[in-house]
Amino acid sequence: MSFFGFDTTLPRDRDRGPEATRGFFENPDPFAQVAQATALEDDDAIDFEDTYDGLGDQLDDDQDEFNDDTFGGGPNIKPVGKDFDFFGRTAQVADAIGEEQVRYSLQHPQAAREPLQPNVQTPAQPATISTAATSKRTGYEKYEDPGYIPDLQAKSSVWGISQKKPTEPAASRKMMSLEEVEAQMRQHGQSAPNVPAQRLPQPLADPSYPIHPQHLPTLPDGFPPIPPEFLQAQLENGALPPQMPPPPPGVPELYGGPGQLPPGVPLHHLQNANFPPQNMPPTGSRHVGPQPAQRQQQVPPPATRGAQSGMPVITTPQQLMHLTEEQRNAYLIEDAKRAKRNHKIFLLSRGNGLMTPQDKNFITRIQLQQLVAAAGNVADSDPEAVLAEDFYYQVYSQIRGAPRQHPHQPLGHFAQTYLLQTGNRLGGHGSRRAFHSADNHMQRMQQQVQRAVEAAKAKPKNKQLIIEGSLGKISFSNAKAPKPMLNIKRPDSADGAKPKKLQSDLSLSDRKSILTNLESVYNALMSMEDMERTMPPPPEEGDAEAIQEHMEWRQKVHSLNQQLWRALKVMEPIVPSSTTPHPFIALLSYPKGKKAIPRIFRHIDQEQRVTILTMIVVHLDSLDVVRLAQPVPGEAQPSLAVREAIDLFSLAIMPSLLGYVNEAPFNIIIGLLGLVIAQTHVQTVARTKVGLGILTMLLSRAEIVKEAGQASERDWQQWVEKFNVLFDTLEPALNDIFPGSINSGDDMYVWQFLAAVGIGASPEQQQRLVIAVKDRVMETVTYSKTLPADMASQRLGNVNLFMRAIGLDVELLG
Amino acid sequence: MADTEDAGASSVSEPLDLVRLSLDEIVFVKLRGDRELKGRLHAYDSHCNLVLGDVEETIYVVEEDDNEQETTRVSETTAIPLVSTRPGC
Amino acid sequence: MLFFSFFKTLTNQTVTIELKNDIRIRGILKSVDQYLNIKLDDVEVLDLDKYPHLSSVKNMFIRGSVVRYVMLPRSEVDVGLLEDATRREAANQAGKAR
Repeated sequence: MSFFGFDTTLPRDRDRGPEATRGFFENPDPFAQVAQATALEDDDAIDFEDTYDGLGDQLDDDQDEFNDDTFGGGPNIKPVGKDFDFFGRTAQVADAIGEEQVRYSLQHPQAAREPLQPNVQTPAQPATISTAATSKRTGYEKYEDPGYIPDLQAKSSVWGISQKKPTEPAASRKMMSLEEVEAQMRQHGQSAPNVPAQRLPQPLADPSYPIHPQHLPTLPDGFPPIPPEFLQAQLENGALPPQMPPPPPGVPELYGGPGQLPPGVPLHHLQNANFPPQNMPPTGSRHVGPQPAQRQQQVPPPATRGAQSGMPVITTPQQLMHLTEEQRNAYLIEDAKRAKRNHKIFLLSRGNGLMTPQDKNFITRIQLQQLVAAAGNVADSDPEAVLAEDFYYQVYSQIRGAPRQHPHQPLGHFAQTYLLQTGNRLGGHGSRRAFHSADNHMQRMQQQVQRAVEAAKAKPKNKQLIIEGSLGKISFSNAKAPKPMLNIKRPDSADGAKPKKLQSDLSLSDRKSILTNLESVYNALMSMEDMERTMPPPPEEGDAEAIQEHMEWRQKVHSLNQQLWRALKVMEPIVPSSTTPHPFIALLSYPKGKKAIPRIFRHIDQEQRVTILTMIVVHLDSLDVVRLAQPVPGEAQPSLAVREAIDLFSLAIMPSLLGYVNEAPFNIIIGLLGLVIAQTHVQTVARTKVGLGILTMLLSRAEIVKEAGQASERDWQQWVEKFNVLFDTLEPALNDIFPGSINSGDDMYVWQFLAAVGIGASPEQQQRLVIAVKDRVMETVTYSKTLPADMASQRLGNVNLFMRAIGLDVELLG
Repeated sequence: MADTEDAGASSVSEPLDLVRLSLDEIVFVKLRGDRELKGRLHAYDSHCNLVLGDVEETIYVVEEDDNEQETTRVSETTAIPLVSTRPGC
Repeated sequence: MLFFSFFKTLTNQTVTIELKNDIRIRGILKSVDQYLNIKLDDVEVLDLDKYPHLSSVKNMFIRGSVVRYVMLPRSEVDVGLLEDATRREAANQAGKAR
């Protein structure tokens, strides 16, 4: 059995009887006879006589007289020539054919319901008719047919408008059309004067160039094209054929109807104006976006275009011939542009009708969703959630300017929060930036002292030193004294030599509780920073909801502030002579405690700030950076860990304190100085960088307040009294406040302190001051001569800050 | 204590909460393979991945031919190594 | 996700990776995933005489689980921020566990 049902059995197998399988069909093998016949005959050749049916004998062989006329030949043959013109002759009757077509289309308007490609190369009359005919239609008719599938094929007609390349329409074409053949023959056989005239119309009748059936919307497919001659004739007559009725009344007439076409307006504009309702059914376009652009293209302002081209309406190739060379070129260029545009429109409109508006809405929604999803994390588009999962990357990228994956997130404020925390961020151990920032702090201190020095120099020493001491002692604990809420129990001895034990190590449980407190501080801090980020916009008046929201936000911030404050343990009672440090001071002994201070200062009010400052001042000598930084005989400087702690303190805490002190009222400064004197071991404090730094801060601030005239006489007396106590206490130790030997370098802060003391000192105190430190001054001057110029000038500059504060200058020392 | 708000993440209720207390503190970490790290703790996660700064690594190597005396080789790294083993948890 | 987040900031930085089999590799961190698998470019094996078979390897994919240490450039790490990120992660974990 063969697949195709042929009997493939061999002859020897063939005679098995009817029960044998006969193949797919139970029919006898139609070729079996032939096969048998060939098998029987050895001769393969087929004899003519065997197959000829003899029909030829029945042919009538007479009436051959005209054969020669028809086929040539015969006794007196004239050369036929090659100038026959079937095409031209046909064209003569084509008028009639065209008229028939037009009439037909008017009588059968439904025949024109084809997808219209109203392209440009349409002759005048049919185009006008199409305007009239199509204006009744909505363009949606096709979609009423459920089985309708829009024509998705590229139509060659869109190319047909170009007159530039008339002979290369369809690339695959090999056969020449009749007219082409004729034209060629004539070209070869005759002189060529009228060749262009004959060549130009060629493409119009080119069968492989099907302009007309598609271009003339009124012509049903399959009708022969309207010969150009017909159209030309119409145009040349300047009138419509009588059988062409004007557009029906009520139908809007473009440009006043067919007879009154503005001469400068190319016809395709009419059609283009007609284009959108036909070709762009709203339900039909797949391209949601390009639509408007398309419309713009389709409806150019006709006047502009007409003026631009400035040409008569070209509707037939023959007309082209009568134009001048320039006009023709311009026309062709114009035409090519048009062709290009129309092609574009066509490409865009290919998907017309594929989707309903609902479909498109659906797709748009999907796209929008994807946009949101792509911009956010795949899992969650909530920026807060992304932040929670990817906090480090997001904030780090923001701070360092690295490219972010989710740049839409509102991180600006957040990163700003972190950038502002320079103390925290730069507090890395051993980081170069940390030291750099510490230098910045020193410079700020330097500026403050310098300002104080300059201010002091501007005014000669006042007479207050004289009246000093004539007033009675003023109690520290007046109404202006800071922080009566602080539960300070004064030690029995107020002479500065407190018998307070310096704590060494903390027990393990203390350490754990302190670290737990610290983590609570950070929890509260981060919550507050988050709150800052989510602050609602300031409410407008009358917007009760916004005001309510704002109130709730403030409430939350306040409760977080209280949480932070409790965690800081600032308000724990101060127990004098305790063996364990105050919990707040203990916090500050940890690096993360120090780093938290600048962040905390941003979120607390002035009263809380002064409370923290007071706590630090009261406990100055039990701060790790003071306690552990005491100079040890035989060692040039504290251990690395202590130096790091000091740097971190200078970097993280001092700027915050300085920021507050610079704005503090004078009575607070007085109170703080009093606390230093009363509560701490001043000489211990003075032997450290941090201790001196805080004293310098207070002294220089007092001087600035005084010089600015903001200090009342009574306040100033109070201050001077404290100052004298401080001076007297420090004087014996002034030589010990310098760190290490002269060549150990960093003694700038000491000179700053001495300058601050020098400004506020009486002439007599200044004298004592000079005596106390003159050795160091001389040493430094001498030593600086051995240094490179820049280092020397730096060292001398430090000394000179002090010298100028007491009205001297290193220059005077020679 | 009235610190109701501290009842959350800051209370020490899980082993890793203790680790949190040591953030930005110098810690000792014991690893597999007789290794110890000492450094400042900058980050950890629930898998006990760690970021340590200024780390000192100590590897204890038992020298057999030396009467079983332990000799230690200490290698220091100044960068921040990440320890992504699970040291003790 | 903390360490994933962290390592993402270190892409295109030169890191040194020590594997659990003691091989140390220096290279440019090209990418990292949530398992902390790592792609390294321009690699350089530090004890190449011990591992000559790695001499021609120019880039590699390292499974996260075989890594002992990743040594990072200090300047590219913001430790303060990292500590805060760790606190947040810890709080997140606690929140999820609850």
